Amino acid sequence: ILSAIVSLPLIELEARIMSSRKPGDSDVLSSLYSMIPLLFLLLACVELSDAAAAVDVYRLVQYDISGVPFGSRIAALNHHAASLHSSAGADLSRSVLIIPLRELNISLVKGNFQLRLIALHLELDYVELDSATLVMTEYISQKKTLGGLLLLLPQMFNFESGDMAVTKDDIHEMERLKNLLVELEELLIHANIPYPVYFAFEHDDIEAVLADIQRNDVNGQAATPTNGGYKFVVSAPEPKKLASPIMTNIQGWLPGLKPDGDTNQLPTIAIVASYDTFGAAPALSVGSDSNGSGVVALLEIARLFSLLYSNPKTRGKYNLLFGLTSGGPYNYNGTHKWLRSFDQRLRETIDYAICLNSIGSWDDKLWLHVSKPPQNAYVKQIYERFSGVAGELGLEVELKHKKINISNPRIAWEHEQFSRLRVTAATLSGLSSAPELFQRTGSLSDSGYLVSEDAIRRSIKLIAQSIARHIYDQQEDMPVFADDSSLAVDLSYVRLWLDLLSRTPRVAPFLTKNDPLVAALKKELAEHTHEVTVQHELLDGMFTFYDSTKAKLNIYQVASVTFDLLLLLAVGSYLIVLFSFLVITTRGLDDLISIFRRPPSRKSKTG
Amino acid sequence: MTAFHFFNCAILTFGPHAVYYSATPLSEYDTLGTSMKAALVYLGTAIVKLVCLANFLKVSENDEFDPYQESLKALIGLVDVAGIYFALTQLTHRNISQNHKFQAVGLGWAFADSILHRLAPLWVGARGLEFTWDYILQGLEANANLAFSISMAALGSLMWLRRNKPKTLIPLIYICALIVATMPSITSYLRKRLDWHFPEVVGFELGSSLVMAFISWQLFSACQRRSS
Repeated sequence: ILSAIVSLPLIELEARIMSSRKPGDSDVLSSLYSMIPLLFLLLACVELSDAAAAVDVYRLVQYDISGVPFGSRIAALNHHAASLHSSAGADLSRSVLIIPLRELNISLVKGNFQLRLIALHLELDYVELDSATLVMTEYISQKKTLGGLLLLLPQMFNFESGDMAVTKDDIHEMERLKNLLVELEELLIHANIPYPVYFAFEHDDIEAVLADIQRNDVNGQAATPTNGGYKFVVSAPEPKKLASPIMTNIQGWLPGLKPDGDTNQLPTIAIVASYDTFGAAPALSVGSDSNGSGVVALLEIARLFSLLYSNPKTRGKYNLLFGLTSGGPYNYNGTHKWLRSFDQRLRETIDYAICLNSIGSWDDKLWLHVSKPPQNAYVKQIYERFSGVAGELGLEVELKHKKINISNPRIAWEHEQFSRLRVTAATLSGLSSAPELFQRTGSLSDSGYLVSEDAIRRSIKLIAQSIARHIYDQQEDMPVFADDSSLAVDLSYVRLWLDLLSRTPRVAPFLTKNDPLVAALKKELAEHTHEVTVQHELLDGMFTFYDSTKAKLNIYQVASVTFDLLLLLAVGSYLIVLFSFLVITTRGLDDLISIFRRPPSRKSKTG
Repeated sequence: MTAFHFFNCAILTFGPHAVYYSATPLSEYDTLGTSMKAALVYLGTAIVKLVCLANFLKVSENDEFDPYQESLKALIGLVDVAGIYFALTQLTHRNISQNHKFQAVGLGWAFADSILHRLAPLWVGARGLEFTWDYILQGLEANANLAFSISMAALGSLMWLRRNKPKTLIPLIYICALIVATMPSITSYLRKRLDWHFPEVVGFELGSSLVMAFISWQLFSACQRRSS
């Protein structure tokens, strides 16, 4: 071990020398090098990673719902690479298929999805095929599996890249890719895939490798060292279940002005947003719109009202409760547990709750989703305030009613959790219809640049103004949060938090108790509210998650077996020729012949 | 697969030495001791060269061909020549003919050179998954080096061990010796100044080693004929 430790820096030195392809380059280093390895390296068997490229890859999510497996079930990968251009009869069961997102082709056919290759490989029931995919059906009809799948995403979905990468594609192309990715994610999340599936971002290295692979596949050539057969290796441990996934709810309490002598409890208005996400790749699920926009709006509204409430003259006679809940994608499990932890009396004082969901990418229309019928007096009141303010701001708010089905465990909106406990609640959202399970939960396609700060700003104004109208019982339209006042919506604050959230993956089972983002949200809320409490709850046992979300892919250019055999043949024959040549020149031809004749003559002597 | 590649490159690099030893009469006269002693002398010269280089040479930032530095390296390369001189003349050998002495010394010299310079990169690099042509080229270079070492030893034995040399051939002998001694400088000049790549340099080394081996063979046999 000591020799290995000492020889490691020398090995690095040697690697640098070797990689520069000039072994006799520096005499000092080579002399130094010739000495010590003789002692150390022969003892230490260290193998350097000398890959052609090393790429960051992100694994498809792996989870169980009540024991039923979903997602990619394996993490380790060690196979040759192939592309979509490989011939029909090729056996891909021991190959990694590398597919750029741009090459996929999905068409919406009467509500059914047709996805070339992916659907067929996942053995789903979609059977609409065009002539181009008949090639693939040949392969699929034999029901073979893949060795692995690597999906190449454009840089625009990479939250770590700079803004420069975004402007490469035009708007139309970006829309197409986004829709493609949404549909692809949906397919992958709900399928049970017995091989590893990884996401990677387009990059010069891997694009060169892909071009090479495609060229080989098109020509149908076997891999040779100069043409490049590539081997993809991801060494990841077997994925383990995450022991106890925790959901952290953060609540901030802003008390209202209690007139002296009044013993009754003040009414409360709650503003709630769920901050966690779920997507096809947990390490990439940043959810800028769903629900980063909601969190940002909540923080800004908290800031504005804390300014208002700091002065006793402007403090309203309502308490304000701000809730950042977790467990949103899992039927708002966190909200459910948070509400159940409330004191009964507190719950009764809640006048109404506004839940925020995806308010960052709408144009001119928002929806207010409710579960109580629109004729309900409370709902009417809330809606009137909202639509009144909306009219002044030049936008539209539409009321949408969705009845709660008690027997259905699926909870599509956060306000339903409130409604099940008889609290009036509504969700303000840019989405017009209720999302299905794991739909619009902040997945891969929901990246930062698709959100508009202006949309968030207008939403904040709408919500804050409507609530202020309710609190201060204003009948005339007096703008409290006017644009040039001290209570204007702070766009830089919005931008700051939106930027942070767009760069932080927030899948709840992978957020620990001491996660920096949770701590940051708690601290921020503490600045704007009087009292902050944090609640940790275990995620509903129905969902089980597995780890191993991020790995490094090593791409090696390998030579085929035939090459090694040919080389052995060549070197062997060279040595034989050299031997014969030397024998002939130094001892004469007779000696050479006698070498080969000796054994038989000996036998004849003894026999 | 990659251990296979390592095996291939290893026999390419070290095979010729073993083949040379067993094919020529060297094996019959048991000159292994001489070769081992020559290998040790090589080790000693390498240490001396290392010390000199560390003391006198400045490590340049870029890969430019600096004539001053290169001539300094060439001077230090002459330590090699001194080493061969030492191995040929100063060491006590058993009764071996001139013919076999220089071959044994050259063989031991080249073998030590290959082991020290090429075994470790081979062991560490050729066993990895990634394929490069480097190790095969390195093996070819080892072959060229063997030819160079034996030529150098032949010319050295002609210069220092043989008393009666034909007058006309003496300058030729010294010129050839100079060329072989300065071969490292020539290859580094090709690589840096003319920007040749590794395969081209190896090709050049192979060609020139064959030429020099042939010339020294002819010179040696000419002197041999003369004396006998």
